[in-house]
Order: sequence, then C-alpha cells, then structure tokens
Amino acid sequence: MVRAPRLSLEEFAVVTGLHPDLIRRLVALGLIDARRDSAGELWFSRSQLDAVARVQRLRAGFALNYAAIGLVTDLLDRIAVLEAALRGARRPGR
Amino acid sequence: MADGEDFYQLLGVPRNASQDDIQRAYRKLARAYHPDINRDPGAEDRFKEVSEAYDVLSDPQTRRRYDAFGRDFRQVPEDVDPETWRRSQQAGAGAGGGRTRSSGGTGGFSGGTGGFGFSSDGGDIDLDDLLGGIFGGRGGGFGSRRGFGPIPGADQEAEIELTVEEAYRGGRRSITLTGGDGTRRSFDVTIPPGVTDGQRIRLAGQGGRGSDGARNGDLYLIVRIAPHPRYRLEGRDLYVELRLAPWEAALGTSVAVDTPGGEVKVKVPGGTSSGRRIRLRGRGLPNPKARRAICTQRQGSWCRPGSRVSNDGCSNNWPRNPTSIRGHSSD
Repeated sequence: MVRAPRLSLEEFAVVTGLHPDLIRRLVALGLIDARRDSAGELWFSRSQLDAVARVQRLRAGFALNYAAIGLVTDLLDRIAVLEAALRGARRPGR
Repeated sequence: MADGEDFYQLLGVPRNASQDDIQRAYRKLARAYHPDINRDPGAEDRFKEVSEAYDVLSDPQTRRRYDAFGRDFRQVPEDVDPETWRRSQQAGAGAGGGRTRSSGGTGGFSGGTGGFGFSSDGGDIDLDDLLGGIFGGRGGGFGSRRGFGPIPGADQEAEIELTVEEAYRGGRRSITLTGGDGTRRSFDVTIPPGVTDGQRIRLAGQGGRGSDGARNGDLYLIVRIAPHPRYRLEGRDLYVELRLAPWEAALGTSVAVDTPGGEVKVKVPGGTSSGRRIRLRGRGLPNPKARRAICTQRQGSWCRPGSRVSNDGCSNNWPRNPTSIRGHSSD
C-alpha cells in the first residue's frame, strides 16, 4: 500500500478524528503547518499528525489555550534543536 | 506608501491573503519576535510593528481602509473617495519618496503636501499617538495597550566582538546597535579586564522599555573574542606557538615571547621536543576574582633564527620538510 505523501483536509480530519473546522483553526493559529494550493485547499504532510497529537496532549494535560500551546510547541522545538546541538558538541570529546 | 513597511510585507502575506492566513502569519511572527523569546534588541520593535499590522489587517473594515488609503488611513476622513485621495497623493509624491516609516502626520490628504514633511527620526510620535488612540493608553512599551498597567521591559542581548588584547586590557569601548526599525543606539561600555568568551556585560536599564513608567529591561552584551592570528584562547589561558630551530630545542635557549601584557623571556630547557607545553604563570588573561592566569607556550619544531617567536612567518625561507628536522629536536 502506498501512503499518500500529503493529506487533504478531509483525510487529515479523518485520521486525526478532529472536525475540519478545528483543523482550519489550528492552521490559522499557526499550530500546524499546511500548504494552501491555488484552489485554496489545505494540504498536510504526515509529520503534522504528530504535531496535532502534541497539541491535543498539551491542551488536555494543561489548562493552556491555543495561543499558549503555540508558544510552548515553539519552545519545545527550540529546546530539541539546542539539545541536539549540545549532544553533537559533546560527542567528539576533548 | 512606504515600501519597506507595508503591513502585508511585514506579515509576509500577499495582499489577497485570507483572514486565516493573516492570522497564521501573525501568530508565527509574534512567537518569533516576542521580546521575552527573542533577545535581539531589534525584536521588540519588530514585534510591535507586526502587532500593529495585524491589528489593522485582522479587522476587515480597517483592512479595507488600509488597502484604499495606505498607512495613513486613520488621517483620512470616513467619506473620502479612494480615487480622489490617490490622485492627490500622487501629486505630492514626487518630493516625498523614500520614507521608511509611517507618519504622514502632516495631513497626507491635502493634496500637494501629502507624503512629505515627516521628520527624519521616523515619526514615532505619530505612531504612539495612533496606538494611544486605539488602545487607550500610551507609554511606549508594548503591553500597556491591553490594560495590564505598568509592565517592566524585557532584557535584551547583543553580541560584542573583542580582540584578545581588548579582553586583556579592558577599557572603554563604544558600540552601536541597530534596532529593528533601523534606529541606532550608541553606548560607551566599560569592559572589565579579563573578560572571557561568552561572558555577559550588563548595561542596566538599556533593554526593552517598560510601559507606564515601569523600569526598563537590561541590555546584556555577550562577549565574543575574535580569532587571533597568534593566540589561541581557552578560557583565560592563552596558547602561543613557539617555533624553534632544532639546535635550540636540543640545546636549550632563552627566547623573548610577546604576550598581551608585554614581552617575556622564556627559558626553553634542552632536549625539548615538539608539542611540549611551557607554562608562564600569570601571563594569560587576568582573572578579576583571583589574580591568577596562565600563558602556555607550545614548542614548534623549527624557526628561522632571526624571528624566533611567530606562528608562521618564520617558515618562509626555512626548509619546509619538518620530518628531517624533527629528527634532530626529538630525543
């Protein structure tokens, strides 16, 4: 079975189990990335499934609104990059 | 219309972007430039500009007026026809090209004068008036607009590059920072002797502006020490390569070495091999807390006798085959 490299809004909604309107809102809030084609349709890469899951977990686990979740995810991503750089800097050793 | 400061360009969206796309662009930029997230001195100004752009474009009605009248739309009365206004603008545009910021405080609507008459420092007053008018409360700092009362400014960080000599001596130094809107601020900074790479120098109250009389944030200058042709720096320790002729290394010698604190005589014991480290106590960067530092020399394998201490200049006329010579200097 060939997995489609990208998902339409409807497919994405089915996979995530969320209402398309909510997904549109998440895109508008900058919480998940989507490409808009010339017809105005949204397309999602599969990596955004993880992003949605994280948004849902943060939303359920903390009393965060979506604006705050955007900030938290940005910072988490930044920390991940810094930690990776730190590991890379340590490994060669001195 | 000011080219560099167009609200759509600020948000990075096309003019026909949907409200959703505008909101998406704004949310991302706001998270990138919020002064508590981005310590760059220009970030706070950028954040304010992005917020202002979003405040205008997020409301369909103000967005329409912005599209019709440009950045000065608030100065245009409600019932003006966009076409008439545009023609009057173009009449006055010839003299007013190249502005960088909003303002148009001088009645951008009255035909000939529209488009110029703004001050070179960018019409900040107009902008503040403008924001004050909308959000009820001015004070310069962002945040006041939502009615939170006085909010202290955020700290900012900027890098400052010093040479090894400057780090050793310390002293006064003037630096200029460019803000997000192109404004330049100059500081006279006193650098303590013995600053190290990554150290932060605090300039109290020079960071983000506090709103409503709250205190300003601090500006931290992060020291970066520029690579030096002769010295290698590890913390406060300096490393210098010392190139010796093989007979000098074999028999021992006394060599003059330049250090940031002046010339030092180094005694090289006989039988020294390449790579050996000789420590000169207290000759590295001064430590302000404990007055102790180290300068370490490393042996090179050869050098032209005339200029013994240099990292590289000595190899010009000297034989380039190290192995044949190293044979002598190693025991």
